[in-house]
Amino acid sequence: MSELASEPSMLSTALGLPYTDAVVIAGALVLGITSGVLGAFAVLRRRSLVGDAVAHATLPGVCVAFLVAGMKDVPGLLLGAAIAGLVAALLMVGIERASRIRPDAAIGVVLSGFFAFGVVLLTHLSNSSDADQAGLENYLFGQAAGLLERDVAVMAGLAASALLVVGVLRRALTTTLFDPAYAGAIGLPVRALETVMTALLVVAVVIGVRVVGAILMVAMLVVPTVTARQLADRFPRVLVLAGLIGAAVGVTGALTATRGQLPTGPVVVLTGFTVAVAALLLAPGRGVLWQARRLAARRRTVRRDAVLTQPDAPVSGLRDRLVRAGLRRRGLLAADGTLTAAGRAAAAETAERRALWTAWLEHGPSIRLPDAREPDPTDLRGSLGDDAVAQLRALAAGAPR
Amino acid sequence: MPDGILIVLIAGLVATACGLLGPFLVLRRMALLSDAVSHAVLPGIVAVWLVAQTRAPLPVIVGAAAFAVLCVLGIDALRATGLVASDAAIALVFPALFSLGVLGVTRYAAGIHLDLDSTIYGEIAFVPFDTVRLGGYEVARSGLVLGGVVLFNLLLVGLLWKELKATTFDPQFGATVRLRPRLLSRLLLVAAAVTAVAAFDAVGAILVVTLLIVPAATAYLLTDRLVVMVALAIAVGWVGAAAGYAVALPMDSSIAGAMGLVCTACFVLALLLSPSHGLLTRRWRRRRIVADAPLLR
Repeated sequence: MSELASEPSMLSTALGLPYTDAVVIAGALVLGITSGVLGAFAVLRRRSLVGDAVAHATLPGVCVAFLVAGMKDVPGLLLGAAIAGLVAALLMVGIERASRIRPDAAIGVVLSGFFAFGVVLLTHLSNSSDADQAGLENYLFGQAAGLLERDVAVMAGLAASALLVVGVLRRALTTTLFDPAYAGAIGLPVRALETVMTALLVVAVVIGVRVVGAILMVAMLVVPTVTARQLADRFPRVLVLAGLIGAAVGVTGALTATRGQLPTGPVVVLTGFTVAVAALLLAPGRGVLWQARRLAARRRTVRRDAVLTQPDAPVSGLRDRLVRAGLRRRGLLAADGTLTAAGRAAAAETAERRALWTAWLEHGPSIRLPDAREPDPTDLRGSLGDDAVAQLRALAAGAPR
Repeated sequence: MPDGILIVLIAGLVATACGLLGPFLVLRRMALLSDAVSHAVLPGIVAVWLVAQTRAPLPVIVGAAAFAVLCVLGIDALRATGLVASDAAIALVFPALFSLGVLGVTRYAAGIHLDLDSTIYGEIAFVPFDTVRLGGYEVARSGLVLGGVVLFNLLLVGLLWKELKATTFDPQFGATVRLRPRLLSRLLLVAAAVTAVAAFDAVGAILVVTLLIVPAATAYLLTDRLVVMVALAIAVGWVGAAAGYAVALPMDSSIAGAMGLVCTACFVLALLLSPSHGLLTRRWRRRRIVADAPLLR
C-alpha cells in the first residue's frame, strides 16, 4: 500500500484530490452506477431482499478465498465473494421452487446460514494466529478508506463487463423481467436469462460490499431504482437515471464521509435514503404531495359543481362556506346565494359535462374512435373530439331510458 | 454451574423466545421484517446510551422497541403510498436506521462497550462473567432478562393463541370477527423486537435473526399443525444451541455462528428428508409407486 501511495497516482492527479479521497470517490462512483443499473432488475421484480442475502453470503466466500489463497489478494477475494453470492442466490431460487418454503423465509434461511458460516470462518481465522487476516471484518460495514487504486480498477473492470452484458442483452432481459410467459413464448431462454440477471445482481453486490459493507449493500441496490422510477416511466430511462442517481449518491456520500471522518457505508446509505424519500414525496406527477394536491383540486371541483348545480341547498359546514365565498369572489354567485348570469352558464356547463359523461358510460363502446385511448373524464369534449361528442349526444337522445 | 452449560442454557432461552414467535412470522410471510426490525433497533440502543448513559436492560429495551415500532411504521407508510413494493420498502428503511445506529456508535459512543462486532456476531462466551446477586446466588444477568422475555412471549402467544392462529391463516376472517389483524401483527413484531434486543446483548443480532427464521422454517417442513410447529421450532433451536456449542469448542470459533450453522444444517436435513415434504423422500416415494404399479412400468 505504502509504495503505491507514494507514487503519484493517475486517479488522484486526474481528480486533483489526495490519493485516499480520489480512490474512495472513484470506488463510490463505480458502485453507484452498477448498483443503480443492476439493482433495477432486482427491485422491479420484487426481489430487492435477495440482494441483502447475497450481500451477507459474500462473507464466507471472502473467508474461504482467503483460506485458499492465504492472502488478501483483491481479485481472489472478490472471486470468492462472487461465487458464494451466486451459490446463495441460486439456492434461494431452488428452495423456493422445490419446497413449500415461501420466498421471504427462503431468503431468511439462506442469509442466516451463509452469514453464520461466514462468522464461524471469520472468528476461526482471527483466532488462528494468522496476522494477515486483520481487516476481513470490514466486509461487514465496508471500509472505503482501505481501498487501493488497484481495487478500484478491478471493480471498474467488473462493472464495465456487467454493464456491457446489460447493453447487449437489454431487450431479452427487459422482456423476461416484465413478462416471463411472453418471453418464453417467443423462444427466449427464460431460465438462462433469469440466471444472468441473478449473476448481474451478484456482481453489483460484490462491487459494493467493499465500499458500503454487506449489511448496508441492499440500500444501494434499491435507492437508485426507487428514485428513478419516480422520475421516469420508461424502463430504459429508469435504467439510465438509476445509474446516474446511484453515482451521484455514492460520490456525495463518500465525499461527506471523508470530510467528516465518518464511516463511508452509513453516510452513503443515509444520503441515498434522503434522496429516495424526497423523490417519493416530491416527484412531479407521482410524488405523494403531488398526488395529494391533485386529489384536493379534484375534491374542490366536485364541491364547486355541487354548489353550482344546487345553489339552494342548505349551507353545510366550513368547506361549503369557503367554496361559496370563492364562487362569490369570481362573480358566479350573487350575495343572496342565487346564481348570477355567469354562474348559470357555469352550472349549465357542468350539467352538460355530466350528461356527456353519463352518455359515454352508456354508449361509449358503440361509437368509433380514431384511437383506443381512454378519454379524460374531466374533459370529454377535448379528448374525444366534436364528432364523437355529437354521436354520443345523438345516441343519448335516441336511446330509450 | 459450569460455564458451558450456562452458555447452552442462555442460548436455549433465546431459542425458546424466538421459537415461540418465529412460526407466526414465517407463516405470515413476515420473516424478513423480523430481520429488518432486529437491525433497526441499533439506533435505539445507542440513543438510550447517549441520553441516559446506561445499558440497563429496561431502558434499552424501551429505546429499542421505540425504534422497532418506528421501523415497522415507516415500512408500512412507504408501502401505503403504493409507490414502492413491500420488499423495497423494507430494503429502504432498515439500512437507513442501521446506518444511523452505526454512525451514532462511531461518532458519539465509542467508549460504550457496545462494539459493533459483538452486537453482530454476539459474544455469548462472555455471558458467564456478567452476573448479579439474587437471594445470595450469583445469577447470569442475561439469563434473568431472557427468562423475562421468554415469559412475556409465552404469555403473549398463550393468551392470544386463538386470535394469532386465526389471523395468521385467514386475516380476512380475523377482520370480520373483529380480531384486529393489523394490531396483532404489530404486536408480534414489537415482541420480536423486544426479543431481539434482549438477546442482542447475549448472543448477537445474527443469532437472533437465525433463531427466529431457521427453526420455524425447518418446523414448517415437518408438520402441518401450528402447535407442533412451535414445539418443533423450539426444539430445533435447542439442538442448535447444544450442538453448536459442542462444534464451536474444538474449532475455536464463534459460538453464536456455530449455533446458527447447526440450525441451518437441521433445515437442510428437513428439506431433504422430511417425511411429507422432503425432496429425497418425495423422490423415493414416487419411485416406489412406479415400482409397485406394474402398469406404469
